[in-house]
Amino acid sequence: MQTIYTDLLVVGAGLAGERAAVEAADAGFSAICLSLVPARRSHSSAAQGGMQAALGNSVMGEGDSPDVHFADTVKGSDWGCDQEVARMFADSAPIEMRRLAHWGVPWNRVVPGKSIYYKGGKQYDKVEKEEKEGLIMARSFGGTAKWRTCYTSDGTGHAVMCTMDNRCAEVGVEVHDKTEAIAMIQDGDVCYGVVARCLRTGELITYLSKATMIASGGFGRIYPNTTNAVICDGGAHTLCIETGVVPMGNMEAVQFHPTGIVPTDILVTEGCRGDGGTLLDVNEKRFMNDYEPDKAELASRDVVSRWMTHHMREGHGVKSPYGEHLWLDIRHLGAEHITGKLREVYEICTSFLGINPIHQLIPVRPTHHYSMGGVRTNRDGAAYGLKGLFSAGESACWDMHGFNRLGGNSLAETVVAGGIVGKKIAEYLEGCETTFKTSLISDVVKKQQARIDALVNGTNGSENVYKVRAAMQVALNKGANIFRTQAGLEECVATLQETLIRARNVGLRSNGKGVNPELAAALKLEGQVKMGLMVAYGALQRTESRGSHNREDFPARNDRDWLNRTLAYWKTPSDSLPTLEYEPATEVVEIPPGDRGYGKSEIISADDNKE
Amino acid sequence: MSRLLKFNIFRYNPADEVSEPHMEEFVLEETDSMTLFIALNRIREEQDPSLQFDFCCRAGICGSCGMVINGRPGLACHTKTKDLSGEITLLPLPVYKLVGDLSVDTGSWFREMYTKTESWIHTTKTFDPTAIEERMDNKQAVDIYELERCVECGCCVAACGTARMREDFIGAAALNRVARFLIDPRDQRTENDYYEIIGNDMGIFGCMGLLACEDVCPKHLPLQNQLGFLRRKMGITSLKKIFKK
Amino acid sequence: MSISYVPVGKSGKWDGAMDWLQMLSGFSLILFVWCHAILESSVVISPDVMDAIGHFLESTGMVQVGGPLIFLVFLSHFVLGARKIPFRFDGQKTIWQHAKMLHHLDTWMWIVQIVSAMIILIMASIHMWVALSDLPITAAKSAARIQGGYWAVFFLILIPLVHLHVGIGFYRIGVKWGFVKDCNRAKFKKVVDVIVTAFVVLGLITLARYYFMSVN
Ligand SMILES: Cc1cc2nc3c(=O)[nH]c(=O)nc-3n(C[C@H](O)[C@H](O)[C@H](O)COP(=O)(O)OP(=O)(O)OC[C@H]3O[C@@H](n4cnc5c(N)ncnc54)[C@H](O)[C@@H]3O)c2cc1C
Ligand code: HEM
Ligand code: HEM
Ligand code: SF4
Ligand code: F3S
Ligand code: FES
Repeated sequence: MQTIYTDLLVVGAGLAGERAAVEAADAGFSAICLSLVPARRSHSSAAQGGMQAALGNSVMGEGDSPDVHFADTVKGSDWGCDQEVARMFADSAPIEMRRLAHWGVPWNRVVPGKSIYYKGGKQYDKVEKEEKEGLIMARSFGGTAKWRTCYTSDGTGHAVMCTMDNRCAEVGVEVHDKTEAIAMIQDGDVCYGVVARCLRTGELITYLSKATMIASGGFGRIYPNTTNAVICDGGAHTLCIETGVVPMGNMEAVQFHPTGIVPTDILVTEGCRGDGGTLLDVNEKRFMNDYEPDKAELASRDVVSRWMTHHMREGHGVKSPYGEHLWLDIRHLGAEHITGKLREVYEICTSFLGINPIHQLIPVRPTHHYSMGGVRTNRDGAAYGLKGLFSAGESACWDMHGFNRLGGNSLAETVVAGGIVGKKIAEYLEGCETTFKTSLISDVVKKQQARIDALVNGTNGSENVYKVRAAMQVALNKGANIFRTQAGLEECVATLQETLIRARNVGLRSNGKGVNPELAAALKLEGQVKMGLMVAYGALQRTESRGSHNREDFPARNDRDWLNRTLAYWKTPSDSLPTLEYEPATEVVEIPPGDRGYGKSEIISADDNKE
Repeated sequence: MSRLLKFNIFRYNPADEVSEPHMEEFVLEETDSMTLFIALNRIREEQDPSLQFDFCCRAGICGSCGMVINGRPGLACHTKTKDLSGEITLLPLPVYKLVGDLSVDTGSWFREMYTKTESWIHTTKTFDPTAIEERMDNKQAVDIYELERCVECGCCVAACGTARMREDFIGAAALNRVARFLIDPRDQRTENDYYEIIGNDMGIFGCMGLLACEDVCPKHLPLQNQLGFLRRKMGITSLKKIFKK
Repeated sequence: MSISYVPVGKSGKWDGAMDWLQMLSGFSLILFVWCHAILESSVVISPDVMDAIGHFLESTGMVQVGGPLIFLVFLSHFVLGARKIPFRFDGQKTIWQHAKMLHHLDTWMWIVQIVSAMIILIMASIHMWVALSDLPITAAKSAARIQGGYWAVFFLILIPLVHLHVGIGFYRIGVKWGFVKDCNRAKFKKVVDVIVTAFVVLGLITLARYYFMSVN
């Protein structure tokens, strides 16, 4: 079996992982990124809309500053974020955007002069300033006070991902694609790397490293309907959960995006609404302006998704064989705009739905989109519980998003956090001497081989991996969705506990040889169900509504009892429920909890007396 | 009512000693808005869990799912079954190393391509975190993005007769990559530098204008125009090199 | 696989030059073939016109000098083009299977170009030898040859092949060098189709005229 040594091992070659690896390589350390797919296929490349940074170059972004960006982020998080982290983020974002420009991202630039834009379906004029010509342009996005979203047409994530991967090739960061981390090498409270499975041959490989980083993106695939790529399955999270000592933060904070298309749940970008698209109901009538007179379609995602679900429950949804949905209308933006700035949207509609958005309405519904929760780290990106383990990007709970992340903030987070955490990793590596215990390593490998053999031979049973996985997805979709209730969550937890037992009894139907996809799915299934339980059980315990966590039986945001972050552990592998602990949401308070200015605003203040 | 689709799928698992390359038939009932992504996953989940193929974004934007669909390289995830006849033949992309069944290793190929073309901005300038960004014309940015849209699916190379006959031909995706940097004002490489990379029969002069690349590219990159542009540019550079000596 | 006369790894300074020469040799052959076809067709108007033209070309020495010159261009074009032709069986098999799989017209056109090239190489060499070694050119001599039968069949094969090869070559030069952009590729292809058809028809009419001309 192959053993590979490196200073920094990054599980994930998305933007966060590659950005951190570049930082370590610049400091003179060797860095390897593992990825399920070639780096550029990482899900970062699917982000169309853009990245938030308070550059304030557009006339519509005048007066913007990191302070305003910070305030938007804290409000967006419904005060669930770590304000110190959000501050660091807002301050660094503009520098990172410029750095990306230097590295080669073809940002759209300011074109001086008069141009039109749409808001709420109406046309307005703006005049961009001469002196800003050629600086990085921004567009409008949900939940922001200013136009702050830097973009390259509607392929921002793709363009930035290309540049980052180019940079990796330049500075010698190795990317081992088609390589899946399946277990962590852990000795007490130190992390020494991972055992991975090669997805070219099916062989196991050990990666030994002084520092290890989880940058594996989201885990939306534990839900049945998600905008996430099929590789966003939380496989790498399961490594951390298995350690028993690394907690997952705020797993119940799950974001649903207002505009997944029906039936495939492919996302059409927020840019549609940012550029003036509107939501219509079965009577082709606008409704968001009734619920949110000020922000209307551009309120934050949790709010829009909730009102959409509400509106459909009121009987205004469009019935279809795939369930109810609403309409997204971008027809008034015109052919040039739709085939230019929103070209990917145009292509998605024509190639996956067979409709033409220039003349037709787009069927949309709220769909799972983003996981605020993940590997809990401190502000340096160091994971709780294990030395030498770091995390950044969507996989981490660094925590600048709290209970709801703003559009454009997460792609920006990947590079900002990647940069900051990468630096901290380089500092950590500076003073790090490690010896690897061969006995420990061979134990871990043997254990993984035994797991594989058991699955192949059906030693534990013959449950069908795909059926068990579907059971988990259906349970979460039913119980831990946009609206949550005690009864629903209890049922969800109970179902997931049964599913967990089934997951432990999976046996393969195929022979498991080579790059067997059934084996890959089976290896992470138990961990996935545990994650599902963390989501559902965390949501059940959190008896308030905050950001995207919305309890119908506890509609108020409760700053008195719940201004905190859930930490979910799986202390012993045989447990049937996660162990939950809590910590304060933030130590530094720049902006005390208050009204977000959108959404319903029932708040139990910290000053209210206990009942 | 709905059609029964017949899939002929290439099967071979190199890691399995008893496996031989062959075509296997699967039958599946068509459903509304079915794509090959939906169909192949159903086959895997319901009929043969060992079937290998690659999907990632399933939204036509990551380039994972290139395969030969009824003879033509294309992205499986955005191929609707209703646009195909009832009999669908699926093969892995040629040129790339086979991983198993419909899955090939495009990653290694493209990584090598980055090294060959030095696919990054070459500049002597250093980044100043305190300065505002350098200005750039928006039109120029848009033109660069137009070429950056390549998702590295590999279809253009798999469809190119030249690339299939000659292993050392670098292919349309690589040539497009060079064009992307050539038009980028931030990259300080000269025409002579680019000539070193593509000014030969492995590069732009190896292209025979078969234009299958242009015709199959699922992202509709302007490959034909770029190849023409590069041939003229590099052709002129070669004359300059010969006559300047 | 294919024959490449440029050692791998050497700077490709000459690769560019050879590509130019390939294009220029091809282009001059195009011009030659089209002029040749038009002049040849003058026999349709009357053999006298053709004889006059032939006489003019010979008296100015254009045939004596131009003929071997064309033969030279022809040969160098062959050598340059041959760099791209798969002479080994596995290369031929690959491209054949590839074309069958892809059902893509431009790829098939390349195969037509290659196959026609090999046949033209032999036939045109013979033809040139015969024509140049039996000067002066007169309609009567040509007609006599063609009415002999074998030459009629010979030209029946050569005419379409030459015009296909030349037409495809013309199209290919346009797209390869970017003179034709993606937006007018289809239009250009149609124009080329018309030209090829026109020349083949013209060629056949000329041939027919030779065949039915009375030779005394
Ligand atoms: C459709 C869509 C559109 C979006 N649009 C926007 C937007 O406009 N603006 C915005 O700010 N955000 C957007 N987001 C969110 C944003 O794209 C993601 O949060 C962000 O890109 C995550 O980046 P990452 O680097 O953390 O992870 P990813 O880019 O997801 O990368 C994860 C990496 O981990 C690897 N990996 C995973 N598991 C393993 C394993 N077990 N072993 C080895 N490698 C592994 C993967 O191969 C991959 O390389 C969007 C998200 C979606 C789904
Ligand atoms: C001796 C026989 C010939 C051979 C072996 C031959 C071979 C070839 C080959 C292989 C090509 C393709 C080159 C490429 O795609 O890069 C080609 C192109 C071409 N041929 Fe020929 N050819 C022959 C005769 C002719 C003749 C007689 C003419 C014209 C009268 C001609 C005109 C052309 C033209 C115009 C092109 C396009 C040039 C280019 O693409 O740069 N060929 N030939
Ligand atoms: C420079 C040398 C050439 C001379 C002097 C020449 C002369 C002639 C003559 C005299 C004829 C009438 C038929 C005959 O007498 O056999 C003829 C016909 C023809 N030649 Fe040539 N030729 C030359 C080169 C070529 C080349 C290079 C090609 C093709 C690549 C070619 C293709 C043809 C064809 C297709 C015909 C039949 C014409 C028709 O029927 O329209 N010739 N040529
Ligand atoms: S150029 Fe087109 S076909 Fe080729 S790899 Fe890129 S996207 Fe795919
Ligand atoms: S198909 Fe191949 S030969 Fe050239 S035009 Fe495209 S690269
Ligand atoms: S799966 Fe991403 S392009 Fe098909």
